[in-house]
Amino acid sequence: MASKPHPITCILPPYMLNRIIENGSDAQIGRAHATQQLSTQFREQRVALAVQKPTPPIPMSAAAVSKNRVVYSADNSSGLPGRVVRQEGGAPTNDPAADEAYDGAGATFDLYWDVYQRNSIDGNGLRLDSTVHYQQGYDNAFWNGQQMVYGDGDEDLPPAQRLFNRFTIALDVIGHELTHGVTQHTGNLVYQSQSGALNESFSDVFGSLVKQRALSQSVQTADWIIGEGLFTANVNGVGIRSMKAPGTAYNDPVLGKDPQPAHMQNYVNTTDDNGGVHINSGIPNHAFYLIALELGGSAWEKAGQIWFVTLRDKIRSNSNFQDMANLTFDVAADLFGANSLEQQAVSKGWTAVGLIPTGGGQPPSPPTTNPGCLSSLLGLFRVF
Amino acid sequence: MILTFERSGGFTAIPLRLTLDTEDLDIQESTMLQTQIAAADFFNLPSQATSSGRDYDRFTFKLTVQDTEQNHTIEYGDANIPESLQPLIDQLSTMARSRRR
Repeated sequence: MASKPHPITCILPPYMLNRIIENGSDAQIGRAHATQQLSTQFREQRVALAVQKPTPPIPMSAAAVSKNRVVYSADNSSGLPGRVVRQEGGAPTNDPAADEAYDGAGATFDLYWDVYQRNSIDGNGLRLDSTVHYQQGYDNAFWNGQQMVYGDGDEDLPPAQRLFNRFTIALDVIGHELTHGVTQHTGNLVYQSQSGALNESFSDVFGSLVKQRALSQSVQTADWIIGEGLFTANVNGVGIRSMKAPGTAYNDPVLGKDPQPAHMQNYVNTTDDNGGVHINSGIPNHAFYLIALELGGSAWEKAGQIWFVTLRDKIRSNSNFQDMANLTFDVAADLFGANSLEQQAVSKGWTAVGLIPTGGGQPPSPPTTNPGCLSSLLGLFRVF
Repeated sequence: MILTFERSGGFTAIPLRLTLDTEDLDIQESTMLQTQIAAADFFNLPSQATSSGRDYDRFTFKLTVQDTEQNHTIEYGDANIPESLQPLIDQLSTMARSRRR
């Protein structure tokens, strides 16, 4: 004989619990509150389990995990990594670029370890190497598969001609470059077209989260600008990209207008920039912003966890935007429950940019296919 | 000699472009560029050398040089520029940046 499911093993959807709390008897309301608490406990356990895996082979205490940073100077040459100017625990150098690279790598390490329990770029404590003062007049920063590299902008030009400051000036740029390393060691998204734009978007998302966490900013108070401070006063712009309003970060007579789209209907087909990896990243960037805004609070918590688990466990090298929408939808259900507010926020955010998530086995509508469990719980309420 | 230079990609993805005719330049700049083109053996360089896939946010350079007898275009990733070509790329990048404003 099939046994009736015990009510304690069943979790009612939040909307249904809310309805009971609004309309039920005192006893039912009490039970609903208790169930809500239980649901919250389960959700927290799921989140804790999700961010902990994969379990390292040797148990790692917090004390055993520590940052290991080395900052080099290329002394305006192309040689990498260059000359060591600061190592872990060393005193500030009074060279702003070197100290920003050191502090920024630290803030990025802290986000990944403190919030997501990831031990550095490779999950295994990889040393964080950064080189500053790369070449002359190098208005760029990059990750070369092994380390972060930063140029000094237009330092070689007369002040009136300078458009770019040094690239370590923006904390999110440092988080962005280091996240390319994390992506390389996880989903390893191919750096071309939509998978490349997702690679770029993950870097923008976690770069922004590094900055928001370092500045204790909420979803509402964050500027959501990528590369704030990179432009000199000669440029009409607030930064390189805007996650809040893609396409509006700059509009300058010399540099032109920010080309990022915010919606799939404005997707840019181009062969430049590896198929527009820095352009179409505006679409998933904006989806993340909308989801974080819907969830409120600190963006690195719920929205960041959904993105991190997707990057670590789900994304594949050839994933496209639709895959990303589907995978984050599934991860939101794994972490917070099917049809939870978090999963609904993910659905709403992606839909707003023109991508409707279709999760694998996680329907967006309220679950109605388990009458045994549901009737069992309702039966329990009827007892009172 | 006409040079058409374009830099794309990078963290900002803001393109940098420059087209110039060496006849319009002062003699010093013109001589420098022609010397760098010769030193790079430009017209015998492979037309493409793009990144291996482990480079993120790096530049891609496209350069066409046209003279009365020949025309050649190359497209190279930042990490794949031969040492002999680097001075020409650096020079054109500086000229393009300084002429932006």
